[in-house]
Amino acid sequence: MPALLHACRESRQARLAGEDFQTITEEEAIEFDAITARIIPTTETAGAREAGVVFFMDAVLGDSREEQHAILKDGLRELQSAAVQEFDVAYFHLLDARQQDQLIESISDTSFFFTLRYLTIAGMFSLPEYGGNRDFVGYDVIGYQNRGAWTQPYSFYDADFTERGE
Amino acid sequence: MAQASNPAVSFDTREEVDFVVVGSGAAGGIMAKELAAAGHSVVVLEQGPHLQAVDFKHDEWGYQHNNDLVWSTRHGNRQTFRRNENEEATLQESVLGYAHNVGGSSVHFSGNFWRFRPIDFMEASVRGTIAGTNFADWPISYEDLEPYYTKVDWEIGVSGLQGPWDPPRSRDYPCPPMPIKGSDVLLERAAKQMGLTSYPAPVAILSQPHNGRPACIHCGFCNGYGCEVNAKSSSMVTMIPLALATGTCELRTMATVSQINTGESGRVTEVVYFDENGTEQAQRTRAAVLCANGAETPRLLLMSANSMFPDGLANASGFVGQNLMFNGYSSVVGLFDEPVNAWKSVPTTRVVHDFYELDESLGFYGGGGIDGRHPTAGTPLGFALSAPDMFGSPSWGAEFKENLAFQFSHCAAFDGHSTSLPLATNNVTLDPNYQDDFGRPAIRCTYSDHPDDLATMEWFLNKTVELMEVAGANSINGFYPETGQTGNVHLLGTCRMGDDPMTSVINSDHRAHDVPNLFMCDGSSLVTGGRGQPTMTIMALAFRAADRINQLAQRNEI
Repeated sequence: MPALLHACRESRQARLAGEDFQTITEEEAIEFDAITARIIPTTETAGAREAGVVFFMDAVLGDSREEQHAILKDGLRELQSAAVQEFDVAYFHLLDARQQDQLIESISDTSFFFTLRYLTIAGMFSLPEYGGNRDFVGYDVIGYQNRGAWTQPYSFYDADFTERGE
Repeated sequence: MAQASNPAVSFDTREEVDFVVVGSGAAGGIMAKELAAAGHSVVVLEQGPHLQAVDFKHDEWGYQHNNDLVWSTRHGNRQTFRRNENEEATLQESVLGYAHNVGGSSVHFSGNFWRFRPIDFMEASVRGTIAGTNFADWPISYEDLEPYYTKVDWEIGVSGLQGPWDPPRSRDYPCPPMPIKGSDVLLERAAKQMGLTSYPAPVAILSQPHNGRPACIHCGFCNGYGCEVNAKSSSMVTMIPLALATGTCELRTMATVSQINTGESGRVTEVVYFDENGTEQAQRTRAAVLCANGAETPRLLLMSANSMFPDGLANASGFVGQNLMFNGYSSVVGLFDEPVNAWKSVPTTRVVHDFYELDESLGFYGGGGIDGRHPTAGTPLGFALSAPDMFGSPSWGAEFKENLAFQFSHCAAFDGHSTSLPLATNNVTLDPNYQDDFGRPAIRCTYSDHPDDLATMEWFLNKTVELMEVAGANSINGFYPETGQTGNVHLLGTCRMGDDPMTSVINSDHRAHDVPNLFMCDGSSLVTGGRGQPTMTIMALAFRAADRINQLAQRNEI
């Protein structure tokens, strides 16, 4: 692993390690953070990491979602076993992106993945008060603007409709 | 957050009031206002809080995923579902969806406000009865209800424009139609090319100020959300304030009704409920009006069984809870080259009503309407969850993310809304195994769509796919619940109106056949389910029922 990338990972871990998670453990936080970052990766626009999805997960799993948390705990253990088996690495977040995607692909029809995907997307697009979608970066990704009011034209088509006097 | 209501008047529970109204939703709000305005003392029992515009947010997680407005199983409002009586009903997160707040589901509904048409009230006579179903005429006609539809238009506030297929109306809409959305431009142009007629959709959302309320600001959060500016014409903002202003109506929130008690004469004497502290109370009353919705009203009647009414109150016919109708639906989504931005403004601004009655030669009964939408009511989270299935694209990773950015703003949906036949085997009963947090038996829903209803949904799906193709969509994917619906928010027919006490629960005055001082008015009253969008008819029925009840009271006949 290139030294710089490794240093970034270390610093990321250190940052998450300093956080006060209420529901998930620090290890879960670091691992979920890595998985959600592959589900909605950082590209030229923000990904799950910038949106703070793992903080959303910590908040909502503590709100009558014990069942989902249990699915995630079990699934993570299995994922880590697979990481050891395939790559001889104990933690998902220590794998490189290609290895991570390969492992996710192999579990993409499990309730573990469905739950994580659900919470990743929810953390990306829910109001920031739930812990994710920080600074509305999730909305920016899809071009949604969280405004209170709109006026015509709403889009190309109604502008064209009005212009033609239909 | 929830505010305690501040009633101008307060009745002692031991004091006999004129009316207890159970529920403050589409029907209950109107009932309370009309009865109180006639000078009657009224206590409204509402199981939810009294929210206000300031409480509402663009909170997709809270409303759509935590069910903060509709109180599902996770809130202790347990419901079970089975397809038929041979199955064991299983606990579900949500089956029959309805709001728990003052104004009921009229607060968070889409506001689509089609009137029923003359045919809806007499279709069994015109079309013929259908074997194995309880398809029947109403005891009232469109002409009987028309003055009350118009009353809803003006007192509640409806925006629209009379269309070529619309039934006759005695007065114009009070507000002009909503400005057309991009999704409906696509629908209208395609409809024209196919020789069909698209015209402005009637909505219970104000396009201009009316009755002291402001016009819609087109924020895009109608379907599933409370309006933040009071432009949506819920009974919370239109009727409840007027009811309270009479000084003879008390609204009790967080009041969960568990039983209607009757005396030796077989008349209602009191309504039993749990107050906000969970303490059991009983309000004495001269009469009761149940406006609790098509799931809660029959449950309450079944829970109120006693030695005189062993099968449930007002249930000599055995029809309490039966004939549950949902309305059918279908949806097709397509992608377009230019931004559609259907996530802005109200859910829909155009309807196509050329197929209100499908041709009998198709071999099945049915009919419905089509409108243009955003596939997930315009909300980002719901869209991101379902887009991969809708468009057959990857569900995670960089490609998923890149697709979303295009799809969210470049899609339109054409939805079908259709008929639902009344069947004895589709019903609301008391679950023998589950209870809610108050110890009331959980609502058990048994439901399987009639084959004709499924055929109708499929027909509308195919028609909307055709429209989408003509509209020039690039990627088209359609859906209807082909294995059958497992829940809905239209809860209709479960205490149907009729002249014959053997095949109906209430008469055309909404009075229970078996209990002279008990009335029911809500979705349960409907004999047939129309073509979707039942709330306008529920509200018109409420104005009419209140009129009838006031007349009965005046003649001392209750």
